[in-house]
Amino acid sequence: MRTIRPLALAAAGALVLSACGGGESVDTGGGGGGGGDNVLVAAVSAQPDQFDPHVTSAYPSFQVLENVYDTLVVPNAEDLTMEPSLAESWETSVDGLTWTFTLREGVTFHDGSEFDSADVVYSYNRIIDDELANSYRFANVASVEAPDPQTVVLTLTQPTPNLLALIGAFKGMSILPENAAEDLDLTTEANGTGPFELESSDASSTVLTAYADYWGGAPAIDGVEFRYVTEPAAALTALENGEVQWTDNVPPQQVSDLSGSEDVELASTSSVDYWYMSMNYARAPFDNPAVRRAIATAIDRAEVTEAARFEAARANQTAIPEDSFYYYDYAPFQADEEAARGLLEEAGVSTPITMGLMVTDEFPESVTAAQVIASQLEPIGITVEVEVLDFATWLDRQDQGDFDAFMLSWLGNIDPADFYEQQHITDGSSNYQGYTNPQVDQLLTQAATEVDEDARKALYDQAAKIIVDDVSYLYLYNPDVVQAWVPGLSGYRIRADRAINFEEVELP
Amino acid sequence: MTAEPLPVEPVPSRPARPRWRETLVLLARNPTALAAAVVLLAIVVVAVFDQTFAPYPANEQDIGNRLRPPSWEHPFGTDNLGRDILSRVIIGASVSLKVGFLSVGLALVAGTLIGLLAGFYGRWVDDTLMRLMDMLFAFPAVLLAIAILAIRGPGTTNTIIAIAIVYVPIFARVTRASVLGVREEVYVRASRSVGASDFRLLTRHVLPNAAPPIIVQTSVSLAFAVLAEAALSFLGLGTQPPNPSWGSMLAEGREFIEQAWWLAFFPGIAIVVTVLCFNLLGDGLRDVLDPRQRTLMAGGGR
Amino acid sequence: MVLAGVSVLVFSLIHLVKGDPVRLALGTRYSQEAYDALRARNGLDLPLVEQYVTWAGRALTGDLGVSFRSGEPVTALIGERLGATLTLAIAAILLALLIAIPLGTISALRPRSAVDRIATVISQIGISVPDFWLAIVLILVFSGTLGWLPTGGYVPITEDPVEWARRLVLPAIAVGVVSGSVITRFVRSSVLEALGSDHVRTAQAKGLPARQVFSWHVLRNALLPLVTVTGVQLAYLLSGVVVVEIVFSWPGLGQLALQAVQARDYPVLQGAVLLFAVIFLLINLLVDLLYTRIDPRIRR
Repeated sequence: MRTIRPLALAAAGALVLSACGGGESVDTGGGGGGGGDNVLVAAVSAQPDQFDPHVTSAYPSFQVLENVYDTLVVPNAEDLTMEPSLAESWETSVDGLTWTFTLREGVTFHDGSEFDSADVVYSYNRIIDDELANSYRFANVASVEAPDPQTVVLTLTQPTPNLLALIGAFKGMSILPENAAEDLDLTTEANGTGPFELESSDASSTVLTAYADYWGGAPAIDGVEFRYVTEPAAALTALENGEVQWTDNVPPQQVSDLSGSEDVELASTSSVDYWYMSMNYARAPFDNPAVRRAIATAIDRAEVTEAARFEAARANQTAIPEDSFYYYDYAPFQADEEAARGLLEEAGVSTPITMGLMVTDEFPESVTAAQVIASQLEPIGITVEVEVLDFATWLDRQDQGDFDAFMLSWLGNIDPADFYEQQHITDGSSNYQGYTNPQVDQLLTQAATEVDEDARKALYDQAAKIIVDDVSYLYLYNPDVVQAWVPGLSGYRIRADRAINFEEVELP
Repeated sequence: MTAEPLPVEPVPSRPARPRWRETLVLLARNPTALAAAVVLLAIVVVAVFDQTFAPYPANEQDIGNRLRPPSWEHPFGTDNLGRDILSRVIIGASVSLKVGFLSVGLALVAGTLIGLLAGFYGRWVDDTLMRLMDMLFAFPAVLLAIAILAIRGPGTTNTIIAIAIVYVPIFARVTRASVLGVREEVYVRASRSVGASDFRLLTRHVLPNAAPPIIVQTSVSLAFAVLAEAALSFLGLGTQPPNPSWGSMLAEGREFIEQAWWLAFFPGIAIVVTVLCFNLLGDGLRDVLDPRQRTLMAGGGR
Repeated sequence: MVLAGVSVLVFSLIHLVKGDPVRLALGTRYSQEAYDALRARNGLDLPLVEQYVTWAGRALTGDLGVSFRSGEPVTALIGERLGATLTLAIAAILLALLIAIPLGTISALRPRSAVDRIATVISQIGISVPDFWLAIVLILVFSGTLGWLPTGGYVPITEDPVEWARRLVLPAIAVGVVSGSVITRFVRSSVLEALGSDHVRTAQAKGLPARQVFSWHVLRNALLPLVTVTGVQLAYLLSGVVVVEIVFSWPGLGQLALQAVQARDYPVLQGAVLLFAVIFLLINLLVDLLYTRIDPRIRR
């Protein structure tokens, strides 16, 4: 028929046009075609929001940045103790206020320029002066100086035993080349010292190419393509098909099936993350310690953990996981409905109490956990209204203090200060629940400067005990890190801090 | 959710005086429409008396018994928190139907009113009103619903409002087109010359004769409203946990599809059956209310 | 006029939504200075009317501003996803027509027969299944169990035509089947209408052979509603089928818009909605044009 032909032509034309439209943004290799011969295709669940390491706080961004930038020190893959990276060695003055780092020689940035102490000074001062996302980690740093190109000196206001963890726990404290913020658009471009260069990033994937002059030796693979696949079913199918070679998008309920599978190599390890719930001290009756303790008594953590994570987590009434040196074995609460009800009665609190519990669907496991908690609190007279929000709204309301209770997790905690300080010290930058206890403040402050490890642990144990008894946070569990890859892939280490590092990977 | 199809065609070119009894009889002769109506009635009954029909409370958890396949105690199996899926499907029916009927009801009232006014009074009234409707219509439906839910917050009530707002333009358009067809009819002009008030004209003459396409549109919109609720719940914006709705059950079930297909299968089937019935009923109504088809049918023609 | 209206609408809507985009863009820790600076840079400290007028003015020259979240120009963000959305929409519509025209015509040729009833139920089932559901099932069957096709992602045709085609199949089916079912209904009713029309009855009464009865005239009249409904479906598909995009990791405009709402990224959202409105108008225009070509009696 006459009109159909022009339609068909137009349609075909549009198809070709659309192809042109879509083709511009993907420059090389990657772009979805299977990754090329020696390129690792990794299926990740979300797109990075931007690539400025000092500004972003999004885990998807750090998945990429881990391979592009370096810090002075990094956590060891096995036990997370801090080891040399861009800094080869360091010395502390006797009074603990001066740290002198000797930098590695022969390191170059992706653009070929040489790395030296001026870059470190620039990077740290940028974070401090511009008050960027991680400036709180430099709170004790009075000055950063570079007496010579190979040396950086940090002068502190007080002894800081965990300084290494503060400056090296993750890539938020990356070393940028001098004046990087003026020379580059750091949100979309990168110039680092890491094993891979940022090649391109678009709506489907982010592509990295190997940096031959990497100070740790050129990577065995030619590049990495981080492909965004939000749907776990799709990610796992892609892995089984060989379309992708690595993924962290593994739902916990699949773990037992996958560990038996021959098509897929599954790995899991306990992590340093923890999930918790907290109630708002600014809203009655949640400022009443008896109410908080009643809630802590009514909740059966084992059940919550089992429901949310299946086997892939360990219930915990404190924050620090079992395999850490700083683990404190303290579990004062027994799940006991009767006792919980008793606590409420004694306190003279009238039920029913309504509690809005804010969770985000960014983490489906928390929605499940919230529902279990709701059913556990109902018998004691607390009606929980689960509020599922998108992450942006969730963060906003948390910031505003507009909540009764919220549930989330903290990732990447290396040092005990990471686990406890900012969340529970009065006016801490992460103390959204509004907890204040002078004793805890004193203990945390003291522990921050205590150099002796055992003494330090003792202090944190004491602080933790009070925090747990007061139920500033109601700790739930430490999830495992679960990742999967194709059989035969070697050189990849799964890490408890969830950092993803592909520098030594070899494809089968 | 899928786009609303265009206003129903064909628009009757002669006034089809709705003889309701005859309509129903003719409808009943259509086996698919009849079956659809019966099933729908059953679903509505179950939804209205949901608490009676549901063997367990919808939110009663039993973690030890979770993810069990269909059995005598749990004919549809249990979900990831040990809740009985049959009960949740039944309670979910009441939620989905409530959302469907209320949102379409709201859209029907508002849209019909706007369409009536626009079609009847014409000129600048028509222009302004329809321009407004056009603006709303040009806004992608899903996005509009998401934006409204972002403003008002998630939940069942706000979902009803969001879907209603999205469907108002369609009802307005259908009504207007229908009214335009009827406006110039002899009986309308006659009544007018006799001095009948506008209101009387609109309610007694225009509306009943313009009604058929609106009725069909209602049935079809009900179908899409149920799908829309499912899609919005899938995105996490609709009915909030732990309350069941077919859409959120599908979303939850999708995480377990490989180990426990029954979590998503039964709510999925429920959606398909319900929506299918609304659509088949709408189709039957369309055939019956179109005067040309009707003549053929009543006359026994194929 | 409609464009202006739509843009005002989205502007007012998005500002009604709670949530401060500056705070969201800056993350959990930031200084008051950084906050003020970002706010000023994005013009958020100006009165709303002025903000809108500035935006509108720039939009007319093709400058849609930059994203709050990432700082990239909105036009670039939209551009990189336009290809994916266009591809899926067109492929799905073609598939839909391929299903709808034969199915609807057969139904209409023998109304209320067994064939008609079966075809009706089939196409009705097609509309009754949630599209994201169909998408998941397709992945499980074709990518999972059978392993024939990839699970998603988009490859431009210029890069790798084979992969482009393979990845397009499942999403196109998921969306096309649903659209096809919608269109089938219209083909059926409009062909029925055309068959029942005076032209045809007269021709049949005259004893003309079937081929002449089903002439261009008949089918031409049946085409009109078909063109309209196809236009509506196409406009809908081009505004992004969010849930299907999510399931297939298809980097389309729907996901962009959803993310923009969630991040309160006003410029991106306004740019996207403006684009959708433009598409809607263009398609309406195209439909009108086709109308006049099909039936010269119709003058708009």
